[in-house]
Amino acid sequence: MTDATAQPLPQPEGKKSSILVADAHTAKRNAAEGRFKAYGIIAILIGLLFLVALLGSIIFNGAPAFTQTRVTLDIPLNEDEIEAAEASIVKTAKYNDLVGTAVAKALADAGIETDMEPDSLLRMLSGSAGSNFRNRVLDNPGLVGSTQTFEFLASSRVDGYLKGRVTRDALVDDKNLDAAHLDLVDQMREAGLVNRGFNLDFILGADASDTRPEAAGMGVSMLGSFFMMLVVLACALPIGIAASIYLEEFAPQNRWTDLIEVNISNLAAVPSIVFGILGLSAFIQVMHLPQSAPLVGGLTLTLMTLPTIVISTRASLKSVPPSIRDAALGVGASKMQAVFHHVLPLAMPGILTGTIIGLAQALGETAPLLLIGMVGFIASNPPEGLTSGFMDPNSAMPAQIYEWAKRSDPAFYERAWGGIIILLLFLMTMNIIAILLRRKFERRW
Amino acid sequence: MNDMRLIERAVNMDDIKISARKVQVYYGDNHAIKDVNVDIQDKTVTAFIGPSGCGKSTFLRCLNRMNDTIDICRVEGDIHLDGEDINDKRVDPVQLRAKVGMVFQKPNPFPKSIYDNVAYGPKIHGMASNKAELDEIVENALRRAALWEEAKDRLDTPGTGLSGGQQQRLCIARAVATEPEVLLMDEPCSALDPIATSQVEELIDELRTDYSVVIVTHSMQQAARVSQKTAFFHLGHLVEYGETGKIFTNPEDERTESYITGRIG
Repeated sequence: MTDATAQPLPQPEGKKSSILVADAHTAKRNAAEGRFKAYGIIAILIGLLFLVALLGSIIFNGAPAFTQTRVTLDIPLNEDEIEAAEASIVKTAKYNDLVGTAVAKALADAGIETDMEPDSLLRMLSGSAGSNFRNRVLDNPGLVGSTQTFEFLASSRVDGYLKGRVTRDALVDDKNLDAAHLDLVDQMREAGLVNRGFNLDFILGADASDTRPEAAGMGVSMLGSFFMMLVVLACALPIGIAASIYLEEFAPQNRWTDLIEVNISNLAAVPSIVFGILGLSAFIQVMHLPQSAPLVGGLTLTLMTLPTIVISTRASLKSVPPSIRDAALGVGASKMQAVFHHVLPLAMPGILTGTIIGLAQALGETAPLLLIGMVGFIASNPPEGLTSGFMDPNSAMPAQIYEWAKRSDPAFYERAWGGIIILLLFLMTMNIIAILLRRKFERRW
Repeated sequence: MNDMRLIERAVNMDDIKISARKVQVYYGDNHAIKDVNVDIQDKTVTAFIGPSGCGKSTFLRCLNRMNDTIDICRVEGDIHLDGEDINDKRVDPVQLRAKVGMVFQKPNPFPKSIYDNVAYGPKIHGMASNKAELDEIVENALRRAALWEEAKDRLDTPGTGLSGGQQQRLCIARAVATEPEVLLMDEPCSALDPIATSQVEELIDELRTDYSVVIVTHSMQQAARVSQKTAFFHLGHLVEYGETGKIFTNPEDERTESYITGRIG
């Protein structure tokens, strides 16, 4: 043995080629493979670049929406003044006057000199200042007679100035504010009258009219989306799973089931606006359900989500090995027992993943909502109770974003980006849940 | 004890458990089983041998109507279990399968605990009224499948975590737990190593005391070792059926001889 290895290896004379040198054909093949790998890496890098650009621009544009400038004022609640305001015809106008006076007084107290009238000073605050003031006074009559501290939203121009969006040059043609206001804002900020803080109202509040972008929030449309998702979950999940179990496990293979199968696959590719017009005619025109209601939105989105759920459920049922069904049938289980005791639990992670992906798709859908009246300025308060949540006019998160994006004030533009951040967070959460579920329940056999 | 069993065995040897007459099976247009007539005896191991694709597994699956689950499969002819037609319209295949248990080629335990694997059949057939009875059934079944000693301390661990041979014995325990009268085994050892195979073969021999066992096998040695009767299938026909000893030493048909001597198949 050792002798054999000690001998030099035979070197054949006049060999044709060496394996130590790649021949022309191999070199060509390797070069082609190398090129293909490079293309792949370039493609991925381009994709990553777009992703970074997308996320970067969303965060850059949207993050300011999560902070809000507020003006802190001490206002004495004089009983006579409040009675006079309540007695007038346009009540909030009088309250606005009170707030304007308070601004002038606060400036004087802080030693900031100005020759502006209270009327003009008031324009630094949100248009809702007067009504907010009145609401607080009416809600707490006991406060009358004392001096209270109020925090009013600054107007979107002032807010934008602090966020760097509004400049003095931009205000030359502005009817609301001029450069002098911004000088005041700088001084008020130094005096601690103007603060920029976290904007919880953006996350929890309702939409606001065109003139008050500073008061607009996602909260109510978030609830609208929530109620729609409840409807989608309650309708699409049982219908989708029942349909797929029947088609996959019980239905005979014939022309009819083939036809149904092809149609379900096609439905998944139908543009969502088509489902919107179907929802409009079926649920609103025929069934006379209320317009703009999350119930109708949810039903419409159910139509859209069903094919996705059916397809993913069937795929996960199919992926359960037939030997499991044989095993169950072999010990005398009925078809239904085999499906419900063994196949369905094994397919569950896939079904849940598909359902969550379907829900996420429905959550981000705008087009069908256009046609059933859920896109637009729907100035509603948060719904009171379940019935109101399902039946009262509401918007949805993507619809709200679309609505803001098409308004003229750039302050709304910022909110639209902020809304996208919230929506993406929801979608990311749902996808993470889907991944976790898949990990947790994944079984090998 | 042993002698008594032998006598009992001898007495029951002639009882016919399953008789099949003129059985035809079609897969779509493909005529897979042609005119098969066979009488399978009680308390006997009957082996089906033959080259791949000869229809032995297909015929086995006719015996507990597992072919019903294949849409394009059509079975004709008479198969009687204890004199009753199993393809009668009144027969519920589920009830039939409780009487005619099956063990498959690839070990296919449910992805559940060992206990649940064995207890599943008795549970769905309502064979135990309480936990203690169920425990007893599970223990007996595992003992019969010679798995009790290895599994008793890990009954709540997944059945899929056992070795291949143990998994197959678990599947046998699962089939035995429902107390069937006939046990069909479709190449039960094809996925097992020689040691596991010999364990399963020993087990099959023991099971013969209570059941009629029908085993499909690719291995002629296995058929010779475990069976008393052997049926040779070729191209969908039942070529020869008889005592195992006779088939292997002195076959009547030329094709059987060619197969067992290794010239075809």
